[in-house]
Amino acid sequence: MSRGVTPGQWLGRIVAGAVVAFFVLFFIVPIVWLLLASTKSARDLIENPPFSLGSLGSLAANFQSLVDFQNGALLSWLGNSTLYSVGALILTLLVSIPAGYALALIEFKGRRPLLMITLVVMLIPNTALVLPIFLELSAVHLIGNALAVILPFSFFPFGVYLTYIYFSTSIPADLLAAARIDGASEFRVFRQIALPLATPVVALVGFFNFVQNWNNYFLPFLMVPGRGSPVQVGLAELLSTVPAFNPTAIGVVSIQLPALALATVISIAPVLIIFLFSQRFLVEGMTAGGTKE
Amino acid sequence: MAPQHSSSRTLRRTAISIVSLASIAALTACSSGAGGGGTSDKYGFPAVEQDAKATIEVWVDTAREPAAQAFQSANPDIPIKITTYDGGANGSGTFQTKISLLDQSGEGWPDVVWSTQQNDSSWASQEQSGQQAFAAVLNKGLVSQDVLDGFAEGALSPATVDGNVYGLRNDLAQDVVWYDQSLFDQFGYTVPTTWEEYQEIGEKVAKEHPGYIVGSVGDPWAPEVFFWGAKAPINEVTGVDTVKVDTSDEHTKKMAALIDDLISAGSMFQDSVFGADFVTKYTGKVLMLPGPSWYSGAIFQNPDNLNAAAGTIGAGLPLAWDGEDPVAGNVGGGIWYVSSHSKNLEAAAKFAEFVTTSDDYQVELAPGYPAYSTAAEAWLEKQASSGYFVGNFTENMITAASQVWDGWGYPAFSQEAIWAKAITPELASGTSLVSLLPAWQTAIENEAQVNGYTVSK
Amino acid sequence: MTVTSTLATAAAADLSQGRQRVARRKSVTSSQSRMGYIFVSGYTLLLLAFGVLPTLYALVLSFTKDGAFVGIDNFVRVFKDFRFFPAVGHVALFLVFWLVSLVVFVVLLALIVHAIKVRWISSGIRFFYYIPGALAGASSVMLWLFVLDPSVSPVAFILEAFGFESFVQTISPDNLPVIFTVIAFWTGAGGWIVVMYGALNNISNDILEAARIDGAGPVQTAIQIQLPLLRKWISYMGIMSLAAGTQLFVEPRMLSQASQAVVPGDYSINQLAYLFAFKQNDFSGSAAISIILLVVALGLSAFFVVRGGLFERD
Repeated sequence: MSRGVTPGQWLGRIVAGAVVAFFVLFFIVPIVWLLLASTKSARDLIENPPFSLGSLGSLAANFQSLVDFQNGALLSWLGNSTLYSVGALILTLLVSIPAGYALALIEFKGRRPLLMITLVVMLIPNTALVLPIFLELSAVHLIGNALAVILPFSFFPFGVYLTYIYFSTSIPADLLAAARIDGASEFRVFRQIALPLATPVVALVGFFNFVQNWNNYFLPFLMVPGRGSPVQVGLAELLSTVPAFNPTAIGVVSIQLPALALATVISIAPVLIIFLFSQRFLVEGMTAGGTKE
Repeated sequence: MAPQHSSSRTLRRTAISIVSLASIAALTACSSGAGGGGTSDKYGFPAVEQDAKATIEVWVDTAREPAAQAFQSANPDIPIKITTYDGGANGSGTFQTKISLLDQSGEGWPDVVWSTQQNDSSWASQEQSGQQAFAAVLNKGLVSQDVLDGFAEGALSPATVDGNVYGLRNDLAQDVVWYDQSLFDQFGYTVPTTWEEYQEIGEKVAKEHPGYIVGSVGDPWAPEVFFWGAKAPINEVTGVDTVKVDTSDEHTKKMAALIDDLISAGSMFQDSVFGADFVTKYTGKVLMLPGPSWYSGAIFQNPDNLNAAAGTIGAGLPLAWDGEDPVAGNVGGGIWYVSSHSKNLEAAAKFAEFVTTSDDYQVELAPGYPAYSTAAEAWLEKQASSGYFVGNFTENMITAASQVWDGWGYPAFSQEAIWAKAITPELASGTSLVSLLPAWQTAIENEAQVNGYTVSK
Repeated sequence: MTVTSTLATAAAADLSQGRQRVARRKSVTSSQSRMGYIFVSGYTLLLLAFGVLPTLYALVLSFTKDGAFVGIDNFVRVFKDFRFFPAVGHVALFLVFWLVSLVVFVVLLALIVHAIKVRWISSGIRFFYYIPGALAGASSVMLWLFVLDPSVSPVAFILEAFGFESFVQTISPDNLPVIFTVIAFWTGAGGWIVVMYGALNNISNDILEAARIDGAGPVQTAIQIQLPLLRKWISYMGIMSLAAGTQLFVEPRMLSQASQAVVPGDYSINQLAYLFAFKQNDFSGSAAISIILLVVALGLSAFFVVRGGLFERD
């Protein structure tokens, strides 16, 4: 069968290519600017063109001022972020994947109410939940403890819903029905049929949960202030010492905007590295799964 | 759904609601009124049982961490825990947010808190959520009257409500008229002493030497420089919940007209002095710049800002309207608060005293003009000894500090935010300030009302 | 008989376009449903602790003041606040721009990127699309401070083309809905493109191959095969974006910090809720605002739930 490409098809491809390229630029240009900004001095940032390259010396100076900030607070922020995000990630997966599976593929009373309640709770603004959650955690004296952050982080209805949709659209009920008829217990069905096919959704839920936890500002701001702060709260503190936003800090602290840019780059690096390595798992579909019938 | 399940369903539903209501009741019970146990009234307010060995927790921002560390070295036997936060910079409201939540939960307050904002006393001096006011009263026994008298006149007024002093002022930010002597010599002008003269120079320099500026209104604190210094009665706090606002007053109108005039002449800058444009366009071209005392380090001696040459910049006295007395505005000056819930009030008060009055911190390390008079004199001497500033730098700074007008109060809402929201975008698109005065009046009134104030003219 | 009927349903569901409500008689074994409860137990505990109880607390709070029941007083006070209706207008406008651009462009880009057969180009592009998603609120403040300032911005030519000469002009109130849409899209689209791409991968190649053999071009395949099978995912994206949109908070707060309050701190409804709670110490009013937002979001998402068949299982 001839597979010649018609001019119409070429035009289609060019248009599609242009759209893709436009959006690549749209997403990337500010990031490139940010990377370049971290290599400049404060004056360079204002006076030189946006895409000019700074100098290694400025980059080193910016890095030094970051490291010196509050005697190496940056490192402890990053450590805290890792602790909270990874801790919550593990708990989230343990809790959400089975829940999503059950909601999708097990028949039990309360399935629909659970789904609806989850939806309602996902829609309520965070602002309303802050006070009661603070009161709850304060009542059990967990404020300032890592658990005060890990436990709320592990409540991830978005992930449960993602899992629910994934399992309900990708795993054929016939497969499960056959196994159940054969007398397999629910747990075995889950472990031996669903779980092996669930790599994409585990990766997705895990990744999104990790990123949400890593980027969360308000909850840790309230629950673990001070030395237990994660990097986002730390960045906000850094921001408040930049002279452009707080002129009274001049002369005491020497964090300038380029150092802040560098701090931003450092704070997003872990997320991006994880994304790079897990992309394959994130988008892997059911093509390897087997809906053959 | 199948009918045979309905009864067990209803039962389950009822059970769930009972459990939830019970938990909510428990939560509400936990949160209200847990701050009991008030015993002594030694200091003029109910204090909890004191423990002279209890660790005091101090909240500072990064720039004030040296203060806490200086205290630590000078008082190694007092256990202290230093926690950093943003200090309320850029209107974040962190202090109030956190105390609101702590008041609800009834425990966990810090012992000393630093704040860069001057209007925290408006809420910290009031009861909320069933708890007593967070800020401890200082002038009823906690801090000696001698120490309180040692502050510059009016320095403690942002922290004073109804005659009670709730905090100690760290630094002053009195407005002076910064000027470039070298440019004045070059152009043959004289430094003004009245607003009228200031306006004349602004018009003259725009005609004879375009490209030079005499001031900036692009920052949110522009009203605190120009309108406070013009005696405009738009921020007068007449009671705990009453304010007086009148943008149609003569002083307000005259200042608005002055600003409009200089903007259209081209000698009034409309962007932030910390923005990119200011540095690139006006390095070496700032003839005058009315502004707070901390411009000294933030703008003139700052290599990333104007970086003015030594021996050119002077601090001029605040301006007066012709025939009236000069008054100065004020832009900033942080306050240290002691918590009324503290278990170690003596140590906490000692800390607050140390950081505001001792030379160890205020003279050696502090970047701003100290509010405590003796520390201020020593600080000024140190600045003057470098020979950077010309003219009567020291005397003018001291005089300006004493001239801060008391007609402006410190209400719970922020004049800076109102100016930024209602005026700045309009000014930027060319609307005249005089025509914006009624809108400004409405904006201030609205904001005051939602913050619980009654507005009078 | 049960097996055959479920087999038939599965096959039909895979290929059908419309919604098919097949009445099934399933025997629910008690051991199955017991395992069901065990599986959801962990999540349910967390749901109660951090979802249900706080929501009920907020609900109770919105009808009380200082512990006493006050009916709809709090809601009236909120409606009368001079900032409330402007905020509603801001959010409504933003929501329209945001929802339309997100749904349209995310699906479009996912479809196009999915059609790229060269693996490394495809993953590279998805990575680039995702990068801004890693930037959270505080980190981006300085980024937008510069990007929106025509004198230093890397996209200055675009800003100048619109006639903006200064930062303050760019962030004037009329432009804000568009600016926030751009910012929210910039950070949010990448993640959804990844999700949609994965969803597209779930469509078995056999179906696509069959369509190609039948002579369907890429656009036809997209419209007639891929889009219908993406229905649940698109409606989920719709609901989540709706929730995120009505709760607009991070972007205006960020710009408010960058502009030193020229973009006001009461731009969006959620910001207003925050101010009520933490600036005016009016937790009841704040809860009232949140309940209003919840009701609106629920109403709007009912649309997506019904049209997208979110609660059904094929």
